[in-house]
Amino acid sequence: MKQYVIKRIAGTVPLLLLVTFLAFILINLRTSDPAEIALRVNQITPTEEVVQSMREELGLDDPFLIRYKNWIMDSFQGNLGTSYVNKKPVLDELRQAIPPTLELAGATLIIIVFFSVSIGIICSIFENRWQDRFLRGFIFLLSAMPSFWIGLLLMWYFSVYLGWLPTSGKNGPSSIILPAVTLSLTFLSTYVRLIRNNMIQNTQENFILYAKLRGLKQSTVMWKVFSNSIQSALTAFGMSIPRLIAGTVVVENIFAWPGIGRLCVKAIFNSDYPVIQAYILMMAVLFIVCNLLVDIVVVMIDPRLRREAK
Amino acid sequence: MKKRLLLVMFTLLIVLTGCSQATKSNPAAVDKNELVFASTKDIRDINPHLTGGELAAQNMVFESLVMNTPEGVKPKLAEKWEISDDGLTYTFYLRKNIKFSDGEPFNAEAVKKNIDVVVANYEKNAWLNLVQVIDSTKVVDEYTFTLTLKTPYYPTLEELGLTRPFRMISPKCFIDGTTANGVNGYAGTGPYILAEHKDNQYALFSVNENYWGDKPKIQHVRWKVMPDHQTILLALQNGEIDLIFGADGDMLDANAFSSLQDEGKYVTKISPPSGSRSILLNSKREATSDKLVREALQYAINKQTIATGILNDTEQIADVLMSKSTPYANIDLKVRSYDTQKAEALLDQAGWAKSDDGYRYKEGKRLNLMLSYNSDNAQEKTIGESMQNDLKAIGVELELLGEEKQAYFDRQKSGEFDLQYSLSWGLPYDPQTYVSTWRVPSHGDYQAQAGLEKKKWLDQTISDVLVEQDETARAEKYEQIFSYVNEEAVYLPLTYSVVKAIHAEQLKGVSFNVSQYEIPFELMYFE
Repeated sequence: MKQYVIKRIAGTVPLLLLVTFLAFILINLRTSDPAEIALRVNQITPTEEVVQSMREELGLDDPFLIRYKNWIMDSFQGNLGTSYVNKKPVLDELRQAIPPTLELAGATLIIIVFFSVSIGIICSIFENRWQDRFLRGFIFLLSAMPSFWIGLLLMWYFSVYLGWLPTSGKNGPSSIILPAVTLSLTFLSTYVRLIRNNMIQNTQENFILYAKLRGLKQSTVMWKVFSNSIQSALTAFGMSIPRLIAGTVVVENIFAWPGIGRLCVKAIFNSDYPVIQAYILMMAVLFIVCNLLVDIVVVMIDPRLRREAK
Repeated sequence: MKKRLLLVMFTLLIVLTGCSQATKSNPAAVDKNELVFASTKDIRDINPHLTGGELAAQNMVFESLVMNTPEGVKPKLAEKWEISDDGLTYTFYLRKNIKFSDGEPFNAEAVKKNIDVVVANYEKNAWLNLVQVIDSTKVVDEYTFTLTLKTPYYPTLEELGLTRPFRMISPKCFIDGTTANGVNGYAGTGPYILAEHKDNQYALFSVNENYWGDKPKIQHVRWKVMPDHQTILLALQNGEIDLIFGADGDMLDANAFSSLQDEGKYVTKISPPSGSRSILLNSKREATSDKLVREALQYAINKQTIATGILNDTEQIADVLMSKSTPYANIDLKVRSYDTQKAEALLDQAGWAKSDDGYRYKEGKRLNLMLSYNSDNAQEKTIGESMQNDLKAIGVELELLGEEKQAYFDRQKSGEFDLQYSLSWGLPYDPQTYVSTWRVPSHGDYQAQAGLEKKKWLDQTISDVLVEQDETARAEKYEQIFSYVNEEAVYLPLTYSVVKAIHAEQLKGVSFNVSQYEIPFELMYFE
């Protein structure tokens, strides 16, 4: 087991290098000169001399691979560069923006777990009856709507029409409800289906049949079905965490939520390369780490895989 | 069993909905001491000597020696001034007993320090002509200050009154004797002080208790950042914000504005025309180098469709480049109104013959033009599509090329476009700052004019008019400039931009400053 974990962790290093290298190439493929952009966002007329001095300041005259190496080495030491726009260290910007995003992702996760479990169970109980079809259809419809649209609809209904919730901004616990619900809709249908199908499958398993034959209470049998169904859903939940955080981009902009999604969009509009690069790096690390953790947890839970890992 | 489980589920659902009901906010009960203003942008760094911050926020905190009003330049921190006969020396007599909000006295010494750091930071401030012509500054006595120029420059007072860079900040806020690399505080002399700022969330301004002038009636102004236009609209309808204010589709698109206007629950206001929105017809490119073609394009565009259909009458149709209310632009120029027959006749005359496919050809080449625009701007795309339609009717194929900001600027600089948008900066920058940029090669205007026979003369005349001391001679030169570009048809005037404001009914005193970028919060009050 220990060996497996070490092997997996070692495997993430080349993956991380590959992802960051690709991101670096993509950003450098742009035809515009970053030095000129850095000048223009500060409204400095980019004459030849200023562009040249800015190129030197940003180290843009070094060969491509040297620049990549410098960036990676600096990043490992916690120096993600300085934003072109406001001259603040990118790390500080991220540090400010991450907590609100985590709050939002956390609230969203709670909503996803609560609704997907409850609706999944209801659907499995009423398998293929109208209740099941209706709920699944309804959830599917909600998931299919783009989040900027459903977000505005929810905002209109719950804030303007009913006057229950604030439209946007981050003040007080009630302001998190609408963005979290909007964000959760994208994921709900997947998990409802997953839990429903697992439940249905498990009900037909032999161990459930034996449990029933042994005359166990109905609720005990149901619990056994549920606890066996939830396992695969849990690993899927784990992989949803980075997707959730990446998915905040649209929702944060609509609901004026001061998180990393907004930071990223602003950086893209301003061509603020250091911030964009840092965002990509952070997301890559997040996906890779979550993937790794999920894989390890799965191996730990499942005896069959554990044997294989040895 | 099933029933029991269902019951539990439904109870949970109800509890959850109940929760949200319990936490409902009551946005209707607005603190009447606080005005909430929504903007898509954060105020950022409001250092008055740099261009990184929002102008409207800088204007709340910092003041100039003079101010621009519809009636011309008026005293502000300077009570009066004198200009020497040669137009080189400006002597300002400062208002006494004014303090910056950090307690520092406002005097000639402070003025000198402020102007000196702006001029010293030449690289960042050279976009303003005045910065280029300032020679020296001098403290005469505690409340007298003189400014000496290298050459006479007629818009000196107007430019001193702009929202930046010549606004006064307490010298105590300087870092190492300069503001070029940031400031350690925002102490100004203005009606408001910045009390709190949460990056990308909100900024709270409070009344400057020691303000020397009439104190504003509204104690606090909360500047809320809402990146999405639709969210701003819904927040207004929900009573969470009191005011939306802005120009050029910045805060509101034309559709949203007119739907709110129709609703009748809010007060909507439109300022007098400010900036000019036009299309550059590049005189250096193959097809548009022919004046006949440029003229034909002018007759072919149905501006009514653009102003009414796209901009919902929130902007006025422009017959000529500058609105008549712009200084020195109240002159009679050739107006080329929508007339497709005339457009077709001109193209025939230019040798572009209509073929069976409906397009025009000359020596086997189709008349194909490219309009380049910034893809961030949805309105520019829609206007482009309307023009595409109009031009197709006279046999001209218009390609729309939307590019992201930097690529758009690159294209502007290289002159590789047939048509591109040109926006003037609005009053009080117009006309001097606008025409002044025509001489700068990185501007689309320069590139579009580069093929004109008298381009050299045009640039020289612009340089001359900026230093012209004599009012009549100046007006004459402006007339020559505007007549020449009008005659050559390099600008296709579309509309004049206006500032739009929407606010709750109980908010009064909403008006417009001369500059479309400023918001006169200090005059507003609740009733």
